[in-house]
Amino acid sequence: MRLRLPTIAACVMAVLVLVSPPARAWLESSMTAQMLVQLPLLAAVGAWMASALPASAGEWFARRDRWGINGLLLASMTSLVWMLPRALDAAVDDAWIAGAKFATIPLLIGMPLALSWRRASLVLRGVFLAETIATCFRLGWLYQVSPQRLCSNYLLNDQQRLGYWLLVIGAALFVLLMGKLLAGRFDPGPDAQMQGGER
Amino acid sequence: MAALTMYPESERLSAGERVAFNLYMISAVVLFVLMMLLGVIMRMAQGTWLEVAPDLFYRLLSMHGAGMVGTMGMVTTAVMWFFLRKYVTLHLWAFVANYVLFLLGALCIIAAIFVGRYGGLWTFLYPLPTHSMGMWPDASAAWFMIGYLLIGVGMLLFYLDATAGLVRKYGNLGRSLGLQWLFGGRIDPEHPKAVVASTMVIIANSLGIIAGAVILVMYLVGIVYPEFKLDPLVAKNLTYWFGHMYINATIYMGVIAVYELLARYSGRPYAISRPFLWSWAASTLFVIIVFPHHLLMDYAQPRWVSITGQIISYSAGFPVFLVTVWGALANIHRSGMRWSMPSRLMILSLFGWAAGIVPAILDGTISINRVMHNTQWVPGHFHFYLLLGVLPMALALMYHVIGSRRNQVSNSAADRLGLPIYLLGGLIFTLAFLAAGHLSVARRMSSHLPEWIFTDQVGAVGAILVLLAMIYFATRITIGLLRGPDSGHAAHAAA
Repeated sequence: MRLRLPTIAACVMAVLVLVSPPARAWLESSMTAQMLVQLPLLAAVGAWMASALPASAGEWFARRDRWGINGLLLASMTSLVWMLPRALDAAVDDAWIAGAKFATIPLLIGMPLALSWRRASLVLRGVFLAETIATCFRLGWLYQVSPQRLCSNYLLNDQQRLGYWLLVIGAALFVLLMGKLLAGRFDPGPDAQMQGGER
Repeated sequence: MAALTMYPESERLSAGERVAFNLYMISAVVLFVLMMLLGVIMRMAQGTWLEVAPDLFYRLLSMHGAGMVGTMGMVTTAVMWFFLRKYVTLHLWAFVANYVLFLLGALCIIAAIFVGRYGGLWTFLYPLPTHSMGMWPDASAAWFMIGYLLIGVGMLLFYLDATAGLVRKYGNLGRSLGLQWLFGGRIDPEHPKAVVASTMVIIANSLGIIAGAVILVMYLVGIVYPEFKLDPLVAKNLTYWFGHMYINATIYMGVIAVYELLARYSGRPYAISRPFLWSWAASTLFVIIVFPHHLLMDYAQPRWVSITGQIISYSAGFPVFLVTVWGALANIHRSGMRWSMPSRLMILSLFGWAAGIVPAILDGTISINRVMHNTQWVPGHFHFYLLLGVLPMALALMYHVIGSRRNQVSNSAADRLGLPIYLLGGLIFTLAFLAAGHLSVARRMSSHLPEWIFTDQVGAVGAILVLLAMIYFATRITIGLLRGPDSGHAAHAAA
């Protein structure tokens, strides 16, 4: 068992940078920056942390995360909360909610995603990606057409800009996925192991 | 040659697979009979032979439309599964999950219609399915859409499992579609047509299902937060992208039965070719972008989209149809074809497909569409295509499978009588719709003008004949499937 201390230190530093008032002031100054820059950066730090976990912790999680289902479910459920405009708003106004955001997004979204993805079958990955794409389109559309501000801290034009970028991200993910399916290479991963007894 | 073995070992069904396959097929034939019964009631009501209140009529029409489309999707999925599992690993849980989600979705739809009084049909135009003017509560519309979502999720799960199987074996979907042989190279003669067709369906229909997952959830959000107003034109485009793809996919899944079975009855190999691969590659693209032909009457739609819709309508299904029919005719010409129910049904299906797309292509022409689209010409087209094209493909597989079961009389006298009755009834029924379209009889209306009633009555007679034949087919197939396997046939025996 070996903790990768430099990686952990770097992750902690990254979180501290993201929590710092100047970074928060900049990243929370707009709904678009908070949702499309700050939250993904926090999730990325969580994913990075996963690579620093000791083997025993990874094995402990693996025993509770057969085929990656629980990890992806945990990440999805946590993402549901942070997709809500009310949650984004509260994270700006309330220190406790902000603390919850800085803790849960790395630990309950980024880390389980990184750990579970490699265990997940192609079917599960497909469900996750299809739903991610559909959610980008739904949220993007909603933010574009909502006649009123959904966050009291952000203006309507910011909300509509976020909607536009979510539509762009959904379309880009879709094109990448189609390209991968049509011309890419696939790691058989756990699917190959599952072939034997599961027909 | 393995491909010409009537019941090859690779099609053997394990005990679990046999139960799942029987559930799909028996559920399908029972649902077809019930949905046809609703169709007969509606045609008789339009023909003034039955008294049906308008609100009940629209509920029956909602049930008939949703039920038929869903059941076509379910039964042709079983056709695709039956053959594709020979070439790639498919997990039984995904096939069963699709069935369970289909049933749950069907229950939601039935409850929405018969308990919640939903009568807004599928497909509906925004702001429907809400804004019912008091005819049904918004909750019923929500249940109807949740039903569709469940059915779509089930099919997506099955497609994802099939995708996993295909990429494991072929590397990616481009290779399973045969794109590497479009411009040269020696085509692998063993590359299965079922794999090519399945790949096309997976690509095209998954996109449609994702579009459906977006628009149906947006409709649901609109029920909870009525202040959200969707762009009606975008909503209509997505609704038709989903709806068109779903029903279009059924024929491309169903035709797998023809590709796999025809050679066994003709006794002549049915080889894969470069034109075949080109046609499926072209149709993969065209089928995805053809849906604007449903919106040719929408003046707000950009002009170029409508023109594209017309051009793609001419070419979307045509390449695959052409190579399939040409290939099939070349295959059976002077082959000493073994004429029995499966082979007859396959030939009927090719006729239904061929004749059924003619009114579709006409309706896909902007100048004709402006006159014909809201008439019974359109139900004439899709009933022709589904009743005489897609359904016989699925029935061909069912008859083929029961041919391997114990004590089965293949090609009985009742079969020989049932098929002509089905064909005659189907022709009377669909031609009555097309003639009504020619007379500008409006579609989707419970009450008709006196001048229109003659075509309704002729259509009702045809529908009754189809129903009688289908009751026979359903009984014969159900009994056949429930029989144990014939010890003489290795395939389909319980493992």
